[in-house]
Amino acid sequence: MHIDWFVFFSQIVNFLILLFLLKKFLYGRIIGAIDARKAKIGALFAEAEQSRQDARTAAEDCERKRQDLEERYEQSLNEARREVETYRERLMEKAREEVDYLKVRWTEALRAERNNFLHELRQLAGRQIYAATRRVLKDLADLNLEERIVEVLLARIATMDENERGKFRGPAREGGTITVTCAFDIPTATQVRLNDTLHRYLSGDMDVAYVRSDDILSGCELRSDGHKISWSMKDYLDTIEERFYSALYEEAQERT
Amino acid sequence: MEVVAINQISPDQVILFSWWFVTISATLLYTWLVMGVLVIGSILITGNLSSDPTMTRWQSVLEVLVETIRSEIRDVVKDDVDTYFPFIGTLFLFILFSNLFTFIPGYVAPTSSLTTTAALAIMVFFAVPIYGISKQGIIEYLKEYFRPTFIFFPFHVMGEFSRTLALAVRLFGNLMSHEKVIAILLAVTPLFFPVVMQVLGLLIGIIQAYIFAVLTIVYIASATQSHEEAEPQTKEPNSTNH
Repeated sequence: MHIDWFVFFSQIVNFLILLFLLKKFLYGRIIGAIDARKAKIGALFAEAEQSRQDARTAAEDCERKRQDLEERYEQSLNEARREVETYRERLMEKAREEVDYLKVRWTEALRAERNNFLHELRQLAGRQIYAATRRVLKDLADLNLEERIVEVLLARIATMDENERGKFRGPAREGGTITVTCAFDIPTATQVRLNDTLHRYLSGDMDVAYVRSDDILSGCELRSDGHKISWSMKDYLDTIEERFYSALYEEAQERT
Repeated sequence: MEVVAINQISPDQVILFSWWFVTISATLLYTWLVMGVLVIGSILITGNLSSDPTMTRWQSVLEVLVETIRSEIRDVVKDDVDTYFPFIGTLFLFILFSNLFTFIPGYVAPTSSLTTTAALAIMVFFAVPIYGISKQGIIEYLKEYFRPTFIFFPFHVMGEFSRTLALAVRLFGNLMSHEKVIAILLAVTPLFFPVVMQVLGLLIGIIQAYIFAVLTIVYIASATQSHEEAEPQTKEPNSTNH
């Protein structure tokens, strides 16, 4: 095996030259290109990552907005529900008030109707009882009811105690007037008897006025300066009215 | 056409030009041919490099080649890849193309000359301590020759020489013997069998280039990393104390 030393050193030089040239024209350029490409790809990846980050941020932003909208929607819905509930309660209150008002009006109307009915009943019953009593007295005892009423009034005047008479005498002495109010016309003879009785027991110079009034139910009354004595069917009619009222009330209770 | 006669063991013996001590042999001629192809090809291809994701086919081939070499170096050396890459890359490319061109009729691989392989091995022989010293410093590098004890110094020195010799002879022996085998086969069975052997020769050429380059990486790595590998073992107890 022979070694040519000139070739040997030439090969060393050749190799070093080749090393230099390849380093200059191949390795540096290729590695530079690879590094540049890596940098570009890295930049692209970074850009993609940034875009991904932006997209994620945008998605999170959208999600946050959506949640915000949902919360606002829920809030609005709750407010609307509360308003509706308040409005409903207000309407219910108003309806209750109207019902109460109508109930009061209805009750008042009913009461007024009842009162009217009782009043009419009282009037009608008074007239009927008066007429019936008058007829019964005429048929059975041949008595005049009006005369008997006046007689009762005269008897009461006669039987008054001094204290009671004093109450009528005061106004009579001062030139006052005693008013005799009856539900019927008093005949003249009876009026004379009344005048005599009054002048005898109360005062001789007093005036006596006679007035007819339907308000006094089948009776007579003597009135002077706020004091009065009377007889009428009022007490009887009051009893009848009270009985009727009780009967009506019981029936109403039974129906309800 | 036979450039190297069957009885000539090396292309160094084919003298093309001679003047005084300057002798231009076939080895040098084909070396310059390979160098020319490599340099001109590099200039042509790298003249229009693209840093975009799209590139030409030739650039792609070169990038794959360069990245493969760097990856091989990175697997062994771990760091400072670009420090060793030009030397190892040039070794690999030169040997590879020297061997691959054997399919050209009349071409004789310069690596089938012991002079060439010896020159390459000598460069490895000097490159290893240069890298080792530049990396570790001369004292640390020389300490390696006395590990584990000073008795091993002569063995280390002998190892350096023997592996250099082995590098040179392995490459030369493989390439030269293959050429001789093909020459003999051409004489015996000139039709089909030499073609198969030629294909096998290409494979052997690639493998030999790879072996030469990988062994060089290993030698450099052993010279630059022996101290670094020992360091963590001594530092570890301290680090655990902190």
